[in-house]
Amino acid sequence: MSTLLQEIEAQIAGVKTSVAKQNVGTVREIGDGVAKIEGLTDVMLNEMIDFGNGIIGLALNLEETEVGAIILGDYTSIKEGQEVRTTGKLLQVPVGKGLLGRVVNSLGQPVDGKGPIKSDVSYPVEKIAPGIIKRKSVNQPVQTGIMAVDAMIPIGRGQRELIIGDRSTGKTTLGVDAMINQARINQAADAAGDKDTRRLYNIYVAIGQKQSNVARVVSVLEEAGAMPYTIVVVASASDSATNQYLAPFAGAAMGEWFMDNGMDALIIFDDLSKHATAYRQVSLVLKRPSGREAYPGDVFYLHSRLLERSARLGEKYGNGSLTALPIIETQLGDVSAYIPTNVISITDGQIYLETDLFYQGIRPAISVGLSVSRVGSAAQIKAMKQVAGRVKLELAQFRELAAFAQFGSDLDAKTQAQIERGKRIVEIFKQSQYKPIPIEVQVAVLWAGQNGYFDDIPVDRVKHAQAKMTDYLTNRKTDLMAKIAKEKALSDALTADLKAAVTEFKQTYK
Amino acid sequence: MKISKQARREAKQVFRICLANGTLDPNRVRQVVQHIIVQKPRGYVGILSHFERLVILEEHRRTAKVESAVPLSPELQSTVQNSLERVYGNGLNISFSQNPSLIGGMRIQVGSDVYDGSVQARLNALQESF
Ligand SMILES: Nc1ncnc2c1ncn2[C@@H]1O[C@H](COP(=O)(O)OP(=O)(O)O)[C@@H](O)[C@H]1O
Ligand SMILES: [Mg+2]
Repeated sequence: MSTLLQEIEAQIAGVKTSVAKQNVGTVREIGDGVAKIEGLTDVMLNEMIDFGNGIIGLALNLEETEVGAIILGDYTSIKEGQEVRTTGKLLQVPVGKGLLGRVVNSLGQPVDGKGPIKSDVSYPVEKIAPGIIKRKSVNQPVQTGIMAVDAMIPIGRGQRELIIGDRSTGKTTLGVDAMINQARINQAADAAGDKDTRRLYNIYVAIGQKQSNVARVVSVLEEAGAMPYTIVVVASASDSATNQYLAPFAGAAMGEWFMDNGMDALIIFDDLSKHATAYRQVSLVLKRPSGREAYPGDVFYLHSRLLERSARLGEKYGNGSLTALPIIETQLGDVSAYIPTNVISITDGQIYLETDLFYQGIRPAISVGLSVSRVGSAAQIKAMKQVAGRVKLELAQFRELAAFAQFGSDLDAKTQAQIERGKRIVEIFKQSQYKPIPIEVQVAVLWAGQNGYFDDIPVDRVKHAQAKMTDYLTNRKTDLMAKIAKEKALSDALTADLKAAVTEFKQTYK
Repeated sequence: MKISKQARREAKQVFRICLANGTLDPNRVRQVVQHIIVQKPRGYVGILSHFERLVILEEHRRTAKVESAVPLSPELQSTVQNSLERVYGNGLNISFSQNPSLIGGMRIQVGSDVYDGSVQARLNALQESF
């Protein structure tokens, strides 16, 4: 035994003093943020390459005679003939709660001037998505606070729901509203010392947007008190295509940390159209072959491996989740372009925003007929199911009837009543930006609408009446609202209370 | 010059013909180049330049550069040669040279693998750790 020990001790001592093997290469060509490197025979895909002076490259193309690497940071100081070496490490970003409240770049470095990030854990930017065994089906809601979404296109934790529409249709606003609502719920739970409510943390990834737009989103989040629950990852239009390409993966890594640690996170990719453009640019300088609309052939795989990383984990794996809201910007409503069709096919449904509706004043401009959530209804709370179960169909019917009614005026009383009701429901679903509505208020107001309490109010006064009713219910019927929020279902007793409250309100409302 | 895919593929095939037991056979290389120059197949210039590149890379892969601050004794040279051949197989082109900037110790490069045991490398590592 002792001789064996002596033997291996000698060997281990030898290892300690011996020289570590390194793998090096020579820069053969440099340009557009991409280096072609000869050598580096041991390099791995997505491995960080050390260019010296703190400059890091990422090996993206492994070819027979050379390695193509994208440079993260300033590439102007890199010279042809320079020696570089492998690091044995995949690209990583810091993760953890220390990032909450911060604005960082694609490498997780702060860009908000608030000092260094407190984090002692890093995650690789590219990670294999959780397998089927670890996953659980979606059954807990993400309350977006947007009544049209929570009632008709419910989203569950771990789901991937696409937000799609032309420019300036309110896509970003929808995402921001959802984040503000999480902060509102978290704040309330924090204030009440409630440990049972599962907090939902936000990650907002801004890709290829103007700095001023990102700054606006950050200030809205700050004003709403949402930043303490939010991480913002920015690769703006002025950043390199490389950084824009990496940003959503970095954000996903930060989200995965919450999921792996039994927590819930919501990630918004704003937007993947610009991400695809950045990837096309990176691929072109890497001289990869391109296909449809000049995108490289693997752009589909790019987005599917990104969105596959959101999931709901089973109890055995900590019960965490990562919900993704990718955003796609269409051109003139063309959803059949390459990138939109790809992302539609990967996600669990879409919220489709229409320019026409937006200019008609129907905001959020959600096209109810074209929007779906394929898995979210399993996560919808029962009370909402009870009041909103038929509303989507009714609204669709109303649109048809309304279109038909334009041609003839001879409508029977029943159809007329249906149209009048429809007009009011459309009003109820209108919602101004940055004002998410608590789920119990949504339930109560929808119940009132469905049961004809708005029928005698002129259409142009519905919004006013709704605001007053909301006011009345939140301030004067606090217990009832708390009960609905807690029981999450409308029992006969609760329904009777709600009926009494709404009737009382109607008597005072002028 | 842009070399077509076809030319690359053919260069690769020709390169494989030149390998004997995993190492490049100089005679075959000469023969093959002669043959292509005489026959002038379609895109032969591209084939030749890509072939040249493959040969250069292969040579590089089989070349060991041993640098030391002071000249190595013949015994030490053969020890180094033996250890390198144990790892990389026979048929390495080993060159020994002197490089005073290493200050002390040795730096060995085989292809893209580097074993840097020089004093200079340690000083660099120390500097980076600050
Ligand atoms: N529900 C809403 N009510 C009123 N204005 C809205 C609403 N949603 C969006 N807007 C306004 O519409 C404009 C475009 O919204 P934005 O979310 O930036 O669109 P997109 O991200 O689709 O380009 C913004 O000025 C925003 O303030
Ligand atoms: Mg936007």
